Amino acid sequence: MTQFAVFVLHGLAYAGLLFLVSSGLTLVFGMMNVLNFAHAAFYMLGAYFSYSILQWSGNFWLSMLLCPLILFVIGALVERFLLRRVHQHGHLHELLLTFGLAYIITEGVKWIWGNYSLAVSLDGFLTGQVSLLGITYPVYRLFIIGCAVAVGTAMSYVFYRTRVGIIVRAAVDDHEMVNALGINVPLVFMLVFAVGAALSGFAGVIAGPLLTTYPGMAAEILVDAFVVIVVGGFGSLGGALLASLIIGQLQAFGVLLVPKLSLALIYLLMAVVLVVKPSGLFGEEA
Amino acid sequence: MRRRSGNPGSVFPGIALVGGLLAAPLFLPLYHVNLLTEVIVFALYAVSYNLLLGYAGLLSFGHAMFFGTGAYVTAVALAHLPGLSVGSAILLSVAAATLAGVVTGALLLRHKGSYFALLTLAFNALFYAVATKWHSVTGGDDGLSVNRPNLDFLGVHLDLSDITTFYYFALITVGALIGYCWHFTHTAMGRTVLLVRENEERMKFLGYDTNISRLLLFTFTGALAGCAGSYYALFFEFTSISAISIEMTTTVLLMTFIGGTGSFLGPVLGALVYTLLHDKLSDITDRWPLIMGLIFIVMVLYVPGGLSGLIVSIRERLAGTAGKNAAQPLEGRKP
Amino acid sequence: MKDNGRILEVRDLYKDFSGLEVLAGVSFQVAQGERHAVIGPNGAGKTTLFNVITGKYKPSGGSILFQGRDITGRPPHQLCRMKISRSFQITNAFQELTVFENVRSGVRCLHGLRYHFFRRVDRDVAVNRRTEELLHLVGLGSVADAPVSTLSYGQQRALEIALTLSTDPELILLDEPTAGMTREETAEAIQLIDRVTRGKTLIIIEHDMDVVFSLADRISVLHYGRILASDRPHVIRDDQRVKDAYLGEG
Repeated sequence: MTQFAVFVLHGLAYAGLLFLVSSGLTLVFGMMNVLNFAHAAFYMLGAYFSYSILQWSGNFWLSMLLCPLILFVIGALVERFLLRRVHQHGHLHELLLTFGLAYIITEGVKWIWGNYSLAVSLDGFLTGQVSLLGITYPVYRLFIIGCAVAVGTAMSYVFYRTRVGIIVRAAVDDHEMVNALGINVPLVFMLVFAVGAALSGFAGVIAGPLLTTYPGMAAEILVDAFVVIVVGGFGSLGGALLASLIIGQLQAFGVLLVPKLSLALIYLLMAVVLVVKPSGLFGEEA
Repeated sequence: MRRRSGNPGSVFPGIALVGGLLAAPLFLPLYHVNLLTEVIVFALYAVSYNLLLGYAGLLSFGHAMFFGTGAYVTAVALAHLPGLSVGSAILLSVAAATLAGVVTGALLLRHKGSYFALLTLAFNALFYAVATKWHSVTGGDDGLSVNRPNLDFLGVHLDLSDITTFYYFALITVGALIGYCWHFTHTAMGRTVLLVRENEERMKFLGYDTNISRLLLFTFTGALAGCAGSYYALFFEFTSISAISIEMTTTVLLMTFIGGTGSFLGPVLGALVYTLLHDKLSDITDRWPLIMGLIFIVMVLYVPGGLSGLIVSIRERLAGTAGKNAAQPLEGRKP
Repeated sequence: MKDNGRILEVRDLYKDFSGLEVLAGVSFQVAQGERHAVIGPNGAGKTTLFNVITGKYKPSGGSILFQGRDITGRPPHQLCRMKISRSFQITNAFQELTVFENVRSGVRCLHGLRYHFFRRVDRDVAVNRRTEELLHLVGLGSVADAPVSTLSYGQQRALEIALTLSTDPELILLDEPTAGMTREETAEAIQLIDRVTRGKTLIIIEHDMDVVFSLADRISVLHYGRILASDRPHVIRDDQRVKDAYLGEG
């Protein structure tokens, strides 16, 4: 029974991380209709920056604050000077650009930090264990779950309850109308992209101590995040949440029950969704 | 006046190219003959990819799943079926890639645009994972070595372990396939694919089942990529997981895009440039993938037509006929 | 097929777009060889009606019978092969390709040259001859090799008709073929339509009442997603409800 609970928690922690990654991806897609292949590369940058900041200051909280900021700036620059430029050439070129960017970032990371795994070590209370109802569990994994809940809540609040969220959603539906209202739509898009990048940077910081920091980490999470989006439905925050939860549990119990096929389970889920409901659980029918 | 009779100006460079390739081993050192063989193999891979990207407008990040399937089937078949001929090994690879194309295509092609691109990447990752985990068959990270058998066909005996002989074997067979691909772009199916990209709705109302046409093309290009993969395994006499990795998809994407998606021979040029750059750069620096990536981004930003597009526009500027051929890139020909 | 000479029967057709009801129980019949005009104010649902009949949209309710067979919800390409063809209100062609290839794409489909991996499209004598015939029929013979994007507006409308005819339909649906034309152009276009649809069944959406009354054998008046009246032109002309709803101001 306690083992069962531990695996549920493992699943939840991984779901939290997946949600942190995929929420930014789905935000950018939902708002700007751009599928950002470089999203996971931003996430990896977050992890590496965090590693370096920890080396330098030893303060995890500082890297949690700084990395999203750095990625925010990078995201804004990418949108302003690269993405906007190819927008006129159409969708295909946007995809190619972000794909090329991911490629360059991965190679750059190998160059700067080396092509091997780095260990991110924490200190303080995050490294501890907590006992509850007879279960002993690492604090850090609970902390991840907490972060995911906080980010998810904040995002849905900003998105559905504030003026900014209304403007952003309106900008998607009717570009010119919102432009005519005196709102700078290109600026809004730049900020949305930057926020997406910041979110992935944050996820990278969080992932550092949980997973290994190595140049393949981007490709690894990208596929899982894509599966989350396919299963949950493109551009849907709620879908991303639900799909993250399902895949987190599948992952946790897959490793427990059918260790060799845990990956296959996730693909099986994706294939079933593709056949039964191609637009995803929360997706709108085309 | 009748349409599509070949432009006489384009015939001469073609003949020169074929002549040059046939004569190449006479004056090139073996190292470069070997390199040229690699270019030929990748040219087929890139041409197949461009039929998907340039002609049908389908951006796939999963082409390596077919390439890798072809490479593995050839390696496994040659290892486990004693006495298997080269031709049969290649045909088995093509058959396997065709099957993979039908099955994945049926799932993937329910979506278009970004969604399609995302799914192809995810499926490529699945193929990669299977190749890594299925150690008993694929050798996992260790890879598989391939014994390149000799060719015995209709009384002709060729020693394919000889570099020059294998070069001619690849040049003639792959050249014929690429020639067929060129023919394909003029066939009913080839034109249908292009017209569906241009205006899918109208095609439906003209009586075409556009889903069928997309699936046929996807499977066809998958089969071609599988064939290229088979040659790749024979060429390197080795198949590793890199053959089925996302990097192998990136490779073909870079080749195709650098060469230019707007013309039939662009990707062939891309395969040549990429392979030569790879050869030179990887001698000088370990950072060549980074340099390739930067070249790619710069081209996406500033030269979306690729090298062949650049050549066409320079030629037009020199001839002072800019604008006359405005509709050309879409025609997807013009060598 | 010859059952009471009907080629098309639309029964109680409904179509709504996320709650907005555009077709609210449309029923009418078209006889073999008839020229049937659909008129109605803007937003009455005329184009939606065409879209549902020709398979672009699936109806939310009701049924469509073609030559006595139920064709409700069938995809466009199947309907096309059953000899139903339509034109679009805004020219819907392959802009960057030549006029010849545009029309040929419909002709070759009819000849079974759709997905052939070996036969070249430009070497089929029958297809090329038929394509040329069609181009001359609509007066585009001289611009066969020009890309569509270089054509004048009138020529693009003629191309739209040629594309519609290219699959050799029995039932032809034309969506405002004369929209945006001058009076002279309209007269010419109507002559063309009259010529090319002889022996076929025609359903036409048209705003110009002179055209409607001179061309049509029967007229259906669509109003707020319903058929207000469907009858011979002189009956429609005298129908008080139609006058109130539509013709009065015209």
